[in-house]
Amino acid sequence: MRQPSVSNVPSTTVEKLVAFLDQRVGLKEIQAKMLNEPIPGGSRWAYVFGSILLFLFVMQAVTGVLLMFYYVPTADHAYASTQYIIHEVDYGWFLLGYHFWGSSAMAVCVVAHMSQVFLWGAYKPPRELLWIVGLALFGIVIGFGFTGYLLPWDQRAYWATTVGVEILDKTPILGDFLARFLKGGPTPGQLTLSRFFVIHVMILPAALMALAGLHLYLFRVAAPAGPFRGTPEEIKAKTDYFFPRQVWKDIVGMAVVFLTICGLAFWEPVVLLEEATPDPGEYHPEPEWYFLFYFQMLRLKMFSGEVGQFMGAVALPVLFMGLLVALPFFDRDPERNIFKRPIALISWIFIMAIMAIFTVSAVINREFLE
Amino acid sequence: MGQPKLKSLVRCKDRDVGEVTKVIVDPLSHDVSHIVVKLDDGTERQVGMECVRTVLDAVVELDALSSDIAALPPFVRADYVTTREVEISHLEDHLDVIPGEVLVPLPALEKDIKRRTFFMNFTHAIGILIGLPMVYPVLRYLMKPMYAPFDNEWLKVGNVGKIKEEDVGVQFQYKKKVKEAYMPESEIEKTVWILKATPSVLEQVYQGKDQEFRDPSGRLIWTNKKDVPYVAFSGKCPHLGCAYKWRQHKTLGQVFLCPCHLSIYDAAGKVLDGPAPRRLDALPIRVAANGDVEIIDMEFKAGIKSQVRIM
Repeated sequence: MRQPSVSNVPSTTVEKLVAFLDQRVGLKEIQAKMLNEPIPGGSRWAYVFGSILLFLFVMQAVTGVLLMFYYVPTADHAYASTQYIIHEVDYGWFLLGYHFWGSSAMAVCVVAHMSQVFLWGAYKPPRELLWIVGLALFGIVIGFGFTGYLLPWDQRAYWATTVGVEILDKTPILGDFLARFLKGGPTPGQLTLSRFFVIHVMILPAALMALAGLHLYLFRVAAPAGPFRGTPEEIKAKTDYFFPRQVWKDIVGMAVVFLTICGLAFWEPVVLLEEATPDPGEYHPEPEWYFLFYFQMLRLKMFSGEVGQFMGAVALPVLFMGLLVALPFFDRDPERNIFKRPIALISWIFIMAIMAIFTVSAVINREFLE
Repeated sequence: MGQPKLKSLVRCKDRDVGEVTKVIVDPLSHDVSHIVVKLDDGTERQVGMECVRTVLDAVVELDALSSDIAALPPFVRADYVTTREVEISHLEDHLDVIPGEVLVPLPALEKDIKRRTFFMNFTHAIGILIGLPMVYPVLRYLMKPMYAPFDNEWLKVGNVGKIKEEDVGVQFQYKKKVKEAYMPESEIEKTVWILKATPSVLEQVYQGKDQEFRDPSGRLIWTNKKDVPYVAFSGKCPHLGCAYKWRQHKTLGQVFLCPCHLSIYDAAGKVLDGPAPRRLDALPIRVAANGDVEIIDMEFKAGIKSQVRIM
């Protein structure tokens, strides 16, 4: 049996218990390894987003499980059970609101995390796989959002799903099969709800846990990239371990995000629209705010017609993701300083500007529709 | 120069001073940065690699006098963690401080196995034999509800008495009974747009031909006669499947407008603006003598030029 790595004679009962466990599990060594990770150039606020995403996921899992105590994934009860959670169950409005705003927070933090890695040039060799697994995780987060908002079975849910699945349907050859597979039939109904539910609460969480584990493992194997400027001596002089400074920054970040979500859940509670039906009445279908820019882009003239539609719905997102996957392989320049990578910097600003402009114009368009 | 090994003798310019008890590694470069030397009096000193002149098999020669080494501050163990307590990947790849390799003998039964590859492949084959028969049943299991036969039942949606003006889109709401899988039969609300068309609009809708609706086997279901003035448009936008409305447009006048992606169609269903790839889908319609309207509820795939029926 392994000896405890730090040997001191246990005296109190608690110490004895810890020593007992440590001897059998190797707790102290595991804890030491988890916390003693050298961060080249030292801890930074810019590095908090990965930890925050992990925290957000855990909270989504906790609140999601709690919602399932009352939620029923059937076309005739999903809406009523969600209303029951909001109006009848003590603090149901809060947990649902937290889960709802938590998903927005995930979308924001994913973009922040990806931006940080991109701007720091941290996707470059030897971290290609880490970057690609990260992109897969990004896809999973999008999938969570998309499958999640069908579940309340209100008008927003129904139309977002209808349009989202029609977009998927534009995939060449496989599109029709995929769309029917996801819907469980030709049009959205009970089987669509069942499928989205299983994907949302079983398949995606399992995939996310597996890939997040792989992501962390690859991160530890590759070691943090560190800052993009400074001599090796300067970087070495500022290097510290994950604990305590980075852990402190991470936990402050988590607390800020937690309080923000709580605030949003409190002041902007979830309000359901009418129950889902193929007759929207006066409702103007619109996706969640973080998909608005894409929704607005699909309104563009250049994406009109059958070919344009294929370009907008399939080719553009696939190309964009493909470009991100290929990024570490064609960008072989070891230079990581973003101020010496003008194309990278301009591309990032361009994409952020596009997202901002289209989101704003989608909001402006709302008035035009009234 | 090789890396200093544990237990190597440490030799100064004047005499031997002790032996190497530890090596210290730089966490970023993974190079050995210091050795820890245990002096004859039992105390330890930390000596930087810049002081090391040569590293022989069992001897480390320093570029210093024994008195210089003894004058160094004592080694402080608390300033360090072991490599087992810190996460530095591939650290071991760079170190050869362990004197000699640590070996474990193979169990007797593991010696002389000639067919290791065969057993490995056999394991994979069994795995495939277990997995493969599952693929088709699982796929069929999941595909069960995907393709349903079309329902060509006529549904009463209202009375044309509701239509007051020609060439104006009027929305009719109707209820459709659905029986999905194990669910109890229920009614869903759907909408259809019905237009009383003037001859010029009717000409644009039917382009001078009767419109035939056929099932996949080619059997005729219904024909919309080109001179019947009532036209029914499916409530589903041919762009991406949203529900469109009849609206006043600033420049285009009264139009069908989809609030999702802003496709705009005229009264005849022709695309005037926006991303839609084809005109609105006309549905089979029949109007009884008393004005009651019936339609066959069909849905077509959105986003493509041609009309492909999915329901």
